[in-house]
Amino acid sequence: MKNQRWETKPLDCWQLAKEIRRNYDKAIAGRDSVLGQGNTSFTIDWQAAFPAIRVVEDNPVGAMMAAQDEAFARRARLASEVRGWGREICGYHNTCWGAQFLGYTADGKPFPERQFTVPFPCVCDSHIKRGQQCRDYKPIARWTNDFTMYIGERDEKREEAMLDHRNFNTLKQLNEMETVFGQKLDDETLFELARNCRLLKQYRADVSYFMTFTPAPLSVKDLYSFFQLGSLAKIGPELAVKFWKTLRDEVEWRVRNKIAAVGSERFRWIEAHPPSWHFLKYYRYMEQYGAVCLGSQYTHFSQSQLERKPDGSIDDREYPVYSPDMELTTREDVVRFMTGPDARAPHHFKIDEYLRPFALNEFADIFAADGALFGLWRAGVGCTLTRKEQAMRLRQAGYSVMCYEGAQSGDRVDLDEKRMLEQLDTWMESLGLQKLDE
Amino acid sequence: MLIAGIDMGIENTKAVIMKDGGIIGRSIVSTGGIDRPEQARRVYDEALNAAGIDAGDIKNVTATGKGKYDIPFASGVVSETIAASRAARFYFPEASGVMSVGADETIAVTLGDERLIREYALNQKCAAGIGTFLKYLAMRLELTETQAGNCDGPDAGAINEGCVVFSELDALSLLNNGAPGEAIMSSAIKAAAARAATVYNDLTIPPAGRVVIMGGLAKNRAFAGALEKYLTFEFLNCENPEYCGAVGAALSGVKD
Repeated sequence: MKNQRWETKPLDCWQLAKEIRRNYDKAIAGRDSVLGQGNTSFTIDWQAAFPAIRVVEDNPVGAMMAAQDEAFARRARLASEVRGWGREICGYHNTCWGAQFLGYTADGKPFPERQFTVPFPCVCDSHIKRGQQCRDYKPIARWTNDFTMYIGERDEKREEAMLDHRNFNTLKQLNEMETVFGQKLDDETLFELARNCRLLKQYRADVSYFMTFTPAPLSVKDLYSFFQLGSLAKIGPELAVKFWKTLRDEVEWRVRNKIAAVGSERFRWIEAHPPSWHFLKYYRYMEQYGAVCLGSQYTHFSQSQLERKPDGSIDDREYPVYSPDMELTTREDVVRFMTGPDARAPHHFKIDEYLRPFALNEFADIFAADGALFGLWRAGVGCTLTRKEQAMRLRQAGYSVMCYEGAQSGDRVDLDEKRMLEQLDTWMESLGLQKLDE
Repeated sequence: MLIAGIDMGIENTKAVIMKDGGIIGRSIVSTGGIDRPEQARRVYDEALNAAGIDAGDIKNVTATGKGKYDIPFASGVVSETIAASRAARFYFPEASGVMSVGADETIAVTLGDERLIREYALNQKCAAGIGTFLKYLAMRLELTETQAGNCDGPDAGAINEGCVVFSELDALSLLNNGAPGEAIMSSAIKAAAARAATVYNDLTIPPAGRVVIMGGLAKNRAFAGALEKYLTFEFLNCENPEYCGAVGAALSGVKD
């Protein structure tokens, strides 16, 4: 192949990923006698320890609606807006909950009404509103996750107290769910979930680490395809572990044999947050320049956290009140295992920007990036707060940065696709890069 | 060597013919209408006629501008930022920056030493169309292009500098209140300059003086003066700044 610098080949584990996706409906069948919504399982998919409770995420549901059927998504957002939920609300939510107000989903089936909600707050956008729309619509149970978030100098005693508060509330939530829904949480299953989660976290951390190598063995498009498997997609813990172990081993093999995701790799860039899901083709467009996206805070920080150690090496981030090897013998242990990494929320891709202003500089350094591409969003996941400051810090450190405008990841209305591609051309040409087929 | 550049902007399409580093023919036509390829052909033919040569003698025809992909006979395209930067170095080899303000787009560039461009900034969507806004406001105020370009006197009061929709509303309110057209135009030009200055201020590493101004609004003396006041330095001015994009495109067609 012309201009190929590295050998490349498709991932073998794609087949397993596709199989998991095909079996998704089967995996969750019968589990939705009680259907809730919320962001509950970035760490442990605790719902699986209940006999018949299922939690769905409004983020992927809303994103999927917007990406697959824009006409329906517009109707849904309008239905939400006329009820007073403005466009400063996350587009995912307005689409998902607009469908609730309409009463049907894109395929015409009745909207599956929620029976409880577990929202969590995010400092940068409207996720604290998560769950309010469905609770306002109909009186349902609501529990809220807290973040151990504060600003200023690190105070470990304060973190410990905040984690105690959060652990208490999480235990209370699980106990109350048993009472409200008349289902018993199976602690043995919960322990197994936690042990699997421990494996998953390590495999994901390894995959992240392998992506620091040149050539990158995966691109962000692979990560976006896989990172839901085992976290938000509720596919079952054993299958998730199997998949990530397979992926991890294959990616390590690719690194050892210098198998690239993009055979013409000559420019590496990072992002901060999710892209416009309907317009992922810009990743392929950039490959024409030999440019590969290594991922974002969103993809890597949701999965693992790497940091540069004082001796210059790269390794997993360490936490003051958490260890991945902590003992798990009680329900409370599991809850502490779930919440521990949230101490002052250093891993969270949104909050990180407030607490560690140079987080993206470290990210770019660790992943040997040449530049960064930032979307300037109106609101929602990856809204514009701090984005320009991050761009400035990266530029001052010698990285090339491009910003483009859009509404939100799940709202295509304000993204000028043609303009964005032209801006990408300008970005690449300004760096002296031409399309490789020209 | 004979080379050509065509800059198809939102308002006008410009073409230049260059020979051995000099411009030997140029032409400009309005871009309007639906048949952009035909407009490109027309402006190109006019530039060839002005140069007194045949199309067959031209080695490269490079296109730039918003309509660059609507020029079927172009042998290549180059982004507007690259074209503007090349033109700046062509006119002023010692230049360290570019400020290009056209009908639609505002570009600020810090030129580099090892690389042509060290850093660049483009206007955000809500800051697009500065040139078009001033053109149509001048028409509404019944001012010629030259008259509008001289409106650097007392203004009629501040008008919105964040969005042309609100700027126009403010301008029309001033008009309804009896303010003179020249004073309203002065207000609008200052607002437009303030908005353009924000693009320059987006540069993390601004140029060290020696900034070339180009694009259609570089011809507007009042606008360029207002922008200089905001940026607190004087621009390097080139002859026929509206052709700079086409010149830069022509030069981009030549391999270094």
